[in-house]
Amino acid sequence: MKEFAPLLHGYWYLLRGAGMTLLMAGAAILPATACGILLAMAQVFGNRFARSAVVGYLFIVRGIPLLVLLTFTYYLLPLTGIDLPPFWGVVLVMALYYAAFMSEVFRAGILSLPQGQWDAARSLGMTRRLMLQIVIFPQALRLASPPFVSLCANLVKATSLVSIVGLWELTMASREIVERTLAPFQIFLGAAAIYFCICYTLALYGRYLESRVLHGH
Amino acid sequence: MPFDLHFIARLIPALIEGAEVTVELAILTFAICLVWGLIVALANSTRGPLSWFAGAYVQIVRNTPLLIQMYIVYFGFSMAGFGLSGFASGLLALCIQNGGYVAEIYRGGLQAVSTRQYEAGRALGMRRWTLYTVVIIPQVVARIVPPMTNQAISITKDTSQVAAIAVMDMMKVAQVWVESSANTYDVFLGVAIIYLVLTSVASVAGKLFERRLAFAQ
Repeated sequence: MKEFAPLLHGYWYLLRGAGMTLLMAGAAILPATACGILLAMAQVFGNRFARSAVVGYLFIVRGIPLLVLLTFTYYLLPLTGIDLPPFWGVVLVMALYYAAFMSEVFRAGILSLPQGQWDAARSLGMTRRLMLQIVIFPQALRLASPPFVSLCANLVKATSLVSIVGLWELTMASREIVERTLAPFQIFLGAAAIYFCICYTLALYGRYLESRVLHGH
Repeated sequence: MPFDLHFIARLIPALIEGAEVTVELAILTFAICLVWGLIVALANSTRGPLSWFAGAYVQIVRNTPLLIQMYIVYFGFSMAGFGLSGFASGLLALCIQNGGYVAEIYRGGLQAVSTRQYEAGRALGMRRWTLYTVVIIPQVVARIVPPMTNQAISITKDTSQVAAIAVMDMMKVAQVWVESSANTYDVFLGVAIIYLVLTSVASVAGKLFERRLAFAQ
């Protein structure tokens, strides 16, 4: 156990880093979800112009690595004169990036509802708004919830990239401890274990939601 | 100053040199993962401790960040006495992580073929070899091509993270050029366009392959 002494000294610092990771992920997930739903609605219900705008956005975001966007936001923000703290700059980029993936999840949820649901709502004389509000959205969100949760786990993992542009969170904290203790194996394994606890919990929750979707309630 | 043609003329060859490393990493990772993922998926489908190990491997690598895995391989292994080069560490970490995802794609493809297909083949008096080569494998391949294409795109984007362990891929080249020239816009546009071209090539290749396999659906 002597080999793991550095981890015992640094664990509190790592946990504080994990707190920052969770804060960052949470701050990004909320706007990402909102934008994702808007993008999905624009793609399903929008006119041709809105649809092609969303398709173009998805093409660009899905084709460029998040690290490229993060790095260049870091370099570009000071140039554009926008006075945004690095934390919010990073959260903004992650939210816009993940909104594209969220929109795919929600779009699949809306489109996988059987046609009968739309027909039934329309034949009851519901207005479009009422139909979406009480028939389509509740069911679509339920269908989309398992992939949504696994996307959130992906986002938590992706927050590790912000350490490359110099923000402090779990990965950065572990690098700092490694620089002091020269014990990369133990410290990075410890950081990996914390990430695993967060993401695996989300994965298990996603699996539970999926079984509920598959077998009714 | 943005859009400086002299600067762009010097920038493009440098970026293309970096892109060669990116493409090399992406192709090697994808090729290795196609084999390694299949091995893990087959191990996962057996009964007994082997399947337990394969399942644990998949969950662990999928629920920890690639960047941390790279740090463990790059810094951890060199501390433990068998250091790998940046390129080899990056490749190993990329294969470890994506092998987990590819294994899940194989598993999904195998599960999606219903047991009736096996029964029908046997009822027609097919031998095991014929049953697999004529009935089962074509259907599995047709099902896994779309998610594999997505995985190839994701691998291409993931390779950008090797910049964090001092590999001169396109991302690292871009960082060096931004820091030495301050011509952020040009470098950003160049990198973004090349990544978009690379991911589009992967996506189009997947679509073409999918069309050729349409008979198996």
